[in-house]
Amino acid sequence: MTQYYVKLRYYPGDSLEEIKDEDLKKFEKEFGVCISYQKIENRELKDGLLMEETLGKSLEDISQEVITISSDKEDNFSNCLIALYKQYRSPRTVYSFLGSNDAGQRIAKKLMNTYGGW
Amino acid sequence: MKILALNGSFRKNGNTEILLKQALMGGESEGAEVEILRLTDCKIKPCRGCGLCLFKENVCQEKDDDVNFIFSKIEECDGMIIGSPCYFLETTAVIKQLVDRCWILGHEIRKPPKPATVIIPYATNGWIPYIMVQPNILLNLLGMKKINQAAFLVQGISEIVLDQDSMDLAYYLGKELSMAIRKKDYTYRGEPGICPVCHDWNLRILKDYATVECPLCGIRGSVSAIEGKINVKFAEKDLAKARFGAKEIYNHYTYHIKPSRDFFLRTKEERKIRAQRYREYLPT
Repeated sequence: MTQYYVKLRYYPGDSLEEIKDEDLKKFEKEFGVCISYQKIENRELKDGLLMEETLGKSLEDISQEVITISSDKEDNFSNCLIALYKQYRSPRTVYSFLGSNDAGQRIAKKLMNTYGGW
Repeated sequence: MKILALNGSFRKNGNTEILLKQALMGGESEGAEVEILRLTDCKIKPCRGCGLCLFKENVCQEKDDDVNFIFSKIEECDGMIIGSPCYFLETTAVIKQLVDRCWILGHEIRKPPKPATVIIPYATNGWIPYIMVQPNILLNLLGMKKINQAAFLVQGISEIVLDQDSMDLAYYLGKELSMAIRKKDYTYRGEPGICPVCHDWNLRILKDYATVECPLCGIRGSVSAIEGKINVKFAEKDLAKARFGAKEIYNHYTYHIKPSRDFFLRTKEERKIRAQRYREYLPT
């Protein structure tokens, strides 16, 4: 059985709306998938802007919000991704899926074109 | 008070140059010192895409050309006028060539903006949908604020002098720019356009068939028809998300560009192996 596993990494300003834990729980229930959420915040307020030095830092350590989705059912997994993309739009960068497995990433990338909101 | 005109036309004393000079005369009438720079006289090499300016701040590997000189002229001025002919739907390539060299400027935290005006002579109605795209990008990357823009219908070389209304408008645009600098009032005075941020008329339809976006500044809105007329509504909160705002530019460099170095290094070995056949095939 194929396991679909994807990490969606949203960097500051990327998501269309605020990512809320309660919304993710609703998606989890609605689509029968597993969703976890992690927020990494390393920005500091300087000159009126939230700033951070990201050059030379590991991709996992910079400020970001990571939504992790996993399922062994392709349809559930895909439909959940579509719903997430509609709510937050898809992440923006080539490294937004870092840490995903191939099967999950392939679907996430494919859906991005039509439903990614860009 | 200094006004710089950047001329994107190759032709000497062509319509673009005449209009720019007319605008500069208007600027001078309000006390500005003026200067004109023909970009095609400058050496502007294409961006190598080496990425070094992105990862080693303020270092451009391309030193053997005039881009730094152009940037220094822009730095010196208090206001700017961009002029370019429109040959095929948009401005000339030299404007884009300069835009592509602006990567290096993105590291700077935005300085107070300077006002600018755009002047585009064109020859055929309906062939100008993208004329403001490159000037808008350039001004935004330079942190400048467009206060007006105008397109002038004219064809043969220097024919613009036959059109007194156009000459008067160009003069006025320069005068207006001078006054804006003096009063530090950079409010946009031109035709509104559909986008309230960049004042252009282009819209991009997103694939949800419900959202529209200004392709240039990226702000999003909704579209409806009211009494047969298209109505585009941009939410106030979305205006703050315009692509070239200080916060957005900072986030773009900080989160979309700089971290890519880590990804690049992580994939180095695999990339080398997979790219090998393309190094060997039809070597360039």
